[in-house]
Parts: sequence; structure tokens; C-alpha cells
Amino acid sequence: MSAAKNIPSRRAEWLLTLPSLGWLAVFFVAPALIVFLLAFKTADATGGVSAGWTLDNLRALADPQYRPILWRTFWISGTTTLICLVIALPVSFAMARAAPRWRNFLLLLIIIPFWTNFLIRVFAWKTLLQSDGLVSQLLDATRLFDESPTLLYNSGAVLLIMVYTQLPFAILPLYAAAERFDFTLMDAARDLGASGFRAFRSVFIPGISRGLGAAALIVFVATIGMYVVPDIVGGTDSEMIGNKIAQRAQGDRNLPLASALAAALLFCVLLLLILCSSAFRRSEKLDNALKGELQA
Amino acid sequence: MKQLLVLLTLFTTGAFAADTLHVFTWADYINPDLVKQFEKKHQCKVAIDTFDSNEAMYARLKAGASGYDLIFPSSYIITLMVQQDMLQPLDHAQLSNLKNVEFEVLGKLADSAMKHSVPYTFGYAVIAYRKDKVKDIEPSWKTFARTDLKKRVTLLNDMRETIGAALKSLGYSLNTRDDKQLAAARDVLIAWKKNIAKFDNEGYKAGVDSGEFNLVHGYSGDLWQVMQTNKKVGVIIPNEGVSASCDEMVIPKGAPNPALAHQLINFLLDGKASAENMQNIGYLCPNSAGLKLVEKEFLNNPAVTIPADVKAKSEVIQDLGDDLKKYTKVWDEVKAG
Amino acid sequence: MKRSRFPVLVTAAVLLFFYAPIVVLVINSFNASRFGGSWEGFTLKWYEKLWNNDDIWSALWTSLGLATLASLTAMVLGTLAAFALHRFQSRLQKIHLGTLTVPLVMPDILMGISLLLFFVALGVPTGFTTIWIAHVTFCLSYVTMVVLGRLQDFDFTLVDAARDLGAGRWQTLRRVVLPLLAPGIIAGGLLAFTLSIDDFVITFFVQGPGTTTLTLRVYSMMKVSQNMPVINALATILLALTFAVVTLSFKLTRKQTAP
Repeated sequence: MSAAKNIPSRRAEWLLTLPSLGWLAVFFVAPALIVFLLAFKTADATGGVSAGWTLDNLRALADPQYRPILWRTFWISGTTTLICLVIALPVSFAMARAAPRWRNFLLLLIIIPFWTNFLIRVFAWKTLLQSDGLVSQLLDATRLFDESPTLLYNSGAVLLIMVYTQLPFAILPLYAAAERFDFTLMDAARDLGASGFRAFRSVFIPGISRGLGAAALIVFVATIGMYVVPDIVGGTDSEMIGNKIAQRAQGDRNLPLASALAAALLFCVLLLLILCSSAFRRSEKLDNALKGELQA
Repeated sequence: MKQLLVLLTLFTTGAFAADTLHVFTWADYINPDLVKQFEKKHQCKVAIDTFDSNEAMYARLKAGASGYDLIFPSSYIITLMVQQDMLQPLDHAQLSNLKNVEFEVLGKLADSAMKHSVPYTFGYAVIAYRKDKVKDIEPSWKTFARTDLKKRVTLLNDMRETIGAALKSLGYSLNTRDDKQLAAARDVLIAWKKNIAKFDNEGYKAGVDSGEFNLVHGYSGDLWQVMQTNKKVGVIIPNEGVSASCDEMVIPKGAPNPALAHQLINFLLDGKASAENMQNIGYLCPNSAGLKLVEKEFLNNPAVTIPADVKAKSEVIQDLGDDLKKYTKVWDEVKAG
Repeated sequence: MKRSRFPVLVTAAVLLFFYAPIVVLVINSFNASRFGGSWEGFTLKWYEKLWNNDDIWSALWTSLGLATLASLTAMVLGTLAAFALHRFQSRLQKIHLGTLTVPLVMPDILMGISLLLFFVALGVPTGFTTIWIAHVTFCLSYVTMVVLGRLQDFDFTLVDAARDLGAGRWQTLRRVVLPLLAPGIIAGGLLAFTLSIDDFVITFFVQGPGTTTLTLRVYSMMKVSQNMPVINALATILLALTFAVVTLSFKLTRKQTAP
């Protein structure tokens, strides 16, 4: 890069770096450290934080009451991720194989619904799934059920609406990868006698594995900390860890216990990031995959 | 860019003008017409933020939400707020309408001298149901055990109210500190939980209105509001006794506009305003001047005045200090169970 | 060799899945029924109620002011960060990039609770400022990545040309670099603006007096309000506005980039 020699000084680098790095150090890294610190404090009965340190909060995490919540959180996030990938794969394939003028149009069609506010989209689903809503009426018309089933307030509803809100985040990175994929490879496989599905499975999917990784990571991490969806369409058996954190912080006057839960979640997320980024580094860096998504 | 800056200045001066009164209260809790009248009379803007439980309100203040002028919490949490030195003493010289406050209600409150708080409403946590969907309903908390209502039922997402309902159904006090009684209440709730769709503090209003829910646990005034527009909704008062609560008006320490906050308290205590308010929000205001002006029909509504024998068995939720942990534990076990 | 129709069919189904709730929502905004289960006649009363609902309008102004301020801040910080990342290849930039990447995948609830605890620990009162800080924090990384993407396609020989023609460093930046980068910076800013308007969870944690944003207002309306269809009317108007803005910006950029 010829221009690099024009501003080579160390001072210029710091001047350009400091505003953003400083901002994130103060408002992102420091708060994360405080979460870890506060997990070792105790709460008093009035909602304050008392002096002194303890391991009680971390021990409390081993309490059996959290097991169903943790299990459910992983189960719902994992299933959402899997469903999103399974749907996004053929979609990104179809989009990448479409004629160029169709591609951008399809991309726009995928993005447009998401200009609507997140909460309003959840609300729209609630209207559809309520007891006299459109979906229930359609189900009634099929006469498959004696009594129309309750569609809201269960983990199924949470799963459905999570898939709805996260699917674009799976489609975009997969499409970005599929667009760069060399489709002549697939044609070659078919010339060699592979069936369409076989070629898709053993040529296309490995070819876009980086996009798959990015999509899985983005969807999984976004759903693992979900609060809104289980809060609005979930029932008594759909509480996730995000809801528990909010309950501890806002209902139980126990910020340290909220921190301990948040610290556990943060630890999982960071671990996942480190694992993924080391996996990515072998081929290309994680940020490029994310950038690919953003540019798309 | 210039337009943006102009917009920003307009916006910031609008939202943070000195004559803005910041009120923190429950949803649908002040007659909007009265708010407009007050804004006109005092040339100010009333900005209302809402909370859905006393604990959420308390957590928010504790986390540094200073800048509210007037808050409407329930009595038990006010005791705690006074202990924590979070409230300003009221200036009775600025509250000429204090004379309207019902003497009888005042006697039951911790702050009967109204040093920090003035009673605003009196309400109960009761049950509402759909007359068209639920047959043979009995006035009892045990209705929540009815399996034929499967998944069309909600309980409040407020541990004190909901554990309190279970304790009441067993004949215990809803302020009990007894571990055995709490364990029994937990088992009752775990059984009820199989029938309910959701623990919910606000959505039950729209839910019972639309027919999404057939039986809901909720606050009397809110349910009264639903009954006004929907004749299919009825209210039952469990005969084991209910939790009664008094919400009061308080001014937090550091309120930016305490003079205007006093004006609003005084305005809401006015007999005529109080009567208009009651008949809009559905909660009884303990205001003797106002009670003379409301219609008989309003007072006779089962969601407004509860039978005397049930009232005798009803209790007010108290702050339990360190023993609150026992309730949190039961609540966690219910939610995980 | 015939191509399988299956991927195309899935794509069509996905689009139906995406649009069905939104179409129903727009239709329901004209539906006289309060609950939206069945069609009970055409009405504009929800739009009238929306027009008369001061709470929504004041929340909208709060949201717009906040989003403008937050996205402007993020645009400045993000552009500087992108320059640094693009121009220098040092250990510092590795750390810089890492710090900028993690917020992209941080669950909202964690960012919300950690900022709340941070403000509690410092004794900072929550309110407009704390929400602004929170929004800049989660927007910054997105703006940086978008501008960085632009910079990678940027032709730096233009800078050399300007310098050779005697332009000063500042002049080059102002006259050459910034105008050419403007579409990228604006795109990043628009993304930040949308993220800020859309956010619920983080704002929910760090809100204070008088800072009820549109999303927070919608949340309490969809739980309590007797007139929930007002939300449909609001959503329809917002959707129409977004459409108009995006179409306009498409046309503008097309004109600019036309040869």
C-alpha cells in the first residue's frame, strides 16, 4: 500500500485508535469485568451489595433449580440454530444460483421484513397464534383436532418465533459464502454421476463451511441470551437463562446472583468465540466472515 | 446536518424543560383527562414512566434512576424506602386537600401521619373469569386447581402476590415466615402451575378481554377496567381472603421538581378529581370528599367493594426483610418445578 | 441435466413465512375488530387513536433524538477505528480488532446487565446519558465493520494524486477521502440508527426517568393497552416510512454512482 508511508507515525496510530478502543475499554471491557467481580459479592436484604467476598453465588449456580433452565436454554438455542441452518442452506443455494438481477432483489426481499421493529414482529406472531387467530382458525378448518390446540405460551411458540427472528442472520452469511462458491465444481460432480442431493451435500456444503460456521455462531449466541421471546410468547415451562438474570436483577433484589448467572453465560459465550475463532483462523479470520455478512 | 442539530436542540429542550414532572407509576393508573387538566393548569408537562411490580420499581431506583418527582408504590415497599432514606418528608402546608383522606384507611397504614406518603388507591388481588367459557365457578383460590381450564389461566408474576394466594388458599397468613407453611404453599403452586399458561403481571388484561385466557389472577381496578368494555368478563373474590394493597404517593429524595409534585398530589386529592379518577381507573381512592361524589353503581361493583367477611380475612403484604429469601427460594422452586 | 426445484420452493416458502405475519399486521391495522381474529369491517379509528396518543409521540421523539445522537457518535468513532485498522498492522490493531469484534456477538442481555452494574458501581444516575452510552457501545462495532469494508475497496492512489498536486493533508482528507467514503459512513450510520431504534433489552436495563423510548412504549402497550391495534397502525406507518426512505436513498446513490 503506497499511501501507508504518508502517515507512518506511531502517534497517528494512537490518535486514530484511542477514541474507539478507549470507549470500548471503559464501556464494554470494564463492565464485563465488573460482572465477574460482582459475582463474588453478597447481596443484602435491601437490594444493596455488602462488603466482603464470597463464593456462595458460584456455589448457588450448582443448585439443581438451574439445571432445567440451562438445559432448556441450550436445547432451544441449539434447535433454533439447527433449523435456521437447514432452512438457510437451500435458500442461499437458490439465491446464489439465481440470475444476477434476481439476486439483489431476493436479498432485498429477505431483508425488508426486518425493517419492522423486533418487538412488533413478535407481537404480529402473537396475534396470529392467539386462540381465535388466523393459524388456529386454519387448524380448526382442517378438523384434525377435536379441540383447537393452544399455540402460544409453550416452548414450541418460543422456538417458532426465534427461528422467525434469527433466520435472516443465518441466510445472509450463508449467501455471502455461496455467492463466492464455484458452482462448476458441482456440475463436475454431477457429470461424474453424483445425484443432485449428493453433489449438494458433499461439494456445496463443504465449500461454504466458513459461512456455515459464522451463521451457526451468530444465531446460537443471539438466542442463548434471549429475553424478549420467552417473556412474551413463552409459558411456565419456557423460562430461559436471560429471563432468570432479569428476575434476579429486577425482582429479587439480588444483583450479585444476577452477576453470577451473567458471568456464567458470558464465560460460555467467550469460550465459544475463542473455539470458533481458532477454528476460523485455519482458513480465514472470523471478522472477515462477519464483514461478509454485513456487506451482504 | 444543520437540521439534525436544530432537531436535537428542540428535542432536548422539550424533554428536559424545567417544568416537566417525572411520574413513575403503574400502567393505566391516572385518568388521562386529569393529567391534561393538570398540565394546562400548571403550564407543565407530565412525563409518565410505568413499572409492573413494586420490586421492579425498587430495583430501578436502587440502580440509580434518580430524577423522578412522584412515585406510586405500595405501602410495604414504602416502609423499606423510608428505612433506606430514599424519600422526602412531605410539606403538609402545600397539601390543603389532605383533609379529604379517609381517616379509617389511614389508621391501618404504617405511615398514618402521612409524613412521607399519602394514600392514593386501595385495591385487591382477585380473580377474573370469562362468563361465557367458565361454568360453575366458586369464589375460591382453589379454582386455579380446576383441570378443565387447562392452559387458559394466568397467575401474577409477582412472588409475594402469587405465593400469598397459595398461602391464603391453605388458610395461612400471606406474610408467614413459617417454613412448613411456605413448603405447603409451594406444593399448591406446583400443582396449579400444571394448569396455567403463564405467570403474568400485565398481559392478563388484554388476555381475558380477548378470550385468550379464561381465568386470571389480577388487580381489582385493572379487571374493573376490562369489565367496563367487555360484559363477558366477571370477577370473583376468593372467600379465603385476598391480599389488599394500598398504593401511596411519595416524593423521592433528590426529586428535581418537588413543588410541582406536591401540586399534583394535592390536585389528585381534590374531591371532584378523585371521583373522576376512581371511575376511570377502577380503584377505590380513600378520599371522603370523592367517595361522596361517585355513583352508587360504581361502589356496588364486586371489583370495587369486596364483601365484609372476606375483607376481614384479607391482609396487607408486609416487607419481611431477610426472610424475603424464603419467598425467593419457594418462587424459584415453583418456576423450576 | 435438470436442476432440482427444491431450493427454489424452500425459498418461496421462507418468503411466505417472512411476510405472512407482516401482511396480517398491516391488514389488521384497518380492521374494526379489537383482537384481530376476524374481519369486522374497515376502519381508520386505530390511526386516529394513534394520532391522539401523546405517549407514543413523545416516545417517538425520545427514540429519534437518541438514535440520531448515538449514530452520529458511532459514525465518528467507527470511522476513526476503521482508518486505524486499515492503515496499521500492529499488535495494537490486533487487540483493537478483537475488542471491536466481540460486541458483535455479545447477547443483548449481557451487555444490558453489565452496563447497568457498571453504572451502579460508579453511582451514575441512569437516564438519557446512560442509554446514549449503551447505544453507542453496541453500534460502534457495526459502523466500524461497514466503513472498513468500504476502505478495503478504496483506491488510495487518489490520495497520492491529491498530495502530488499539492493538497495538504487536511485538504486531502476533506476534499478527497471523506467524500469518497461518505456512502460507507452513511450506510454505517443508518445501520446504527436502525439498531438504536430497534433495541429493547439493553435500553430496558439502563433506562431512567423520562427516557421511555418507542420500543419500551410498545412493550408496555402490547401488554396492557385496551387498543392494541394501535400498534398495528404504528407499525404500518413506520414500515411505509422506511420503504420511502430506502427507495429514495437507492435512487440517490444510483444517480451518484452512475458513470
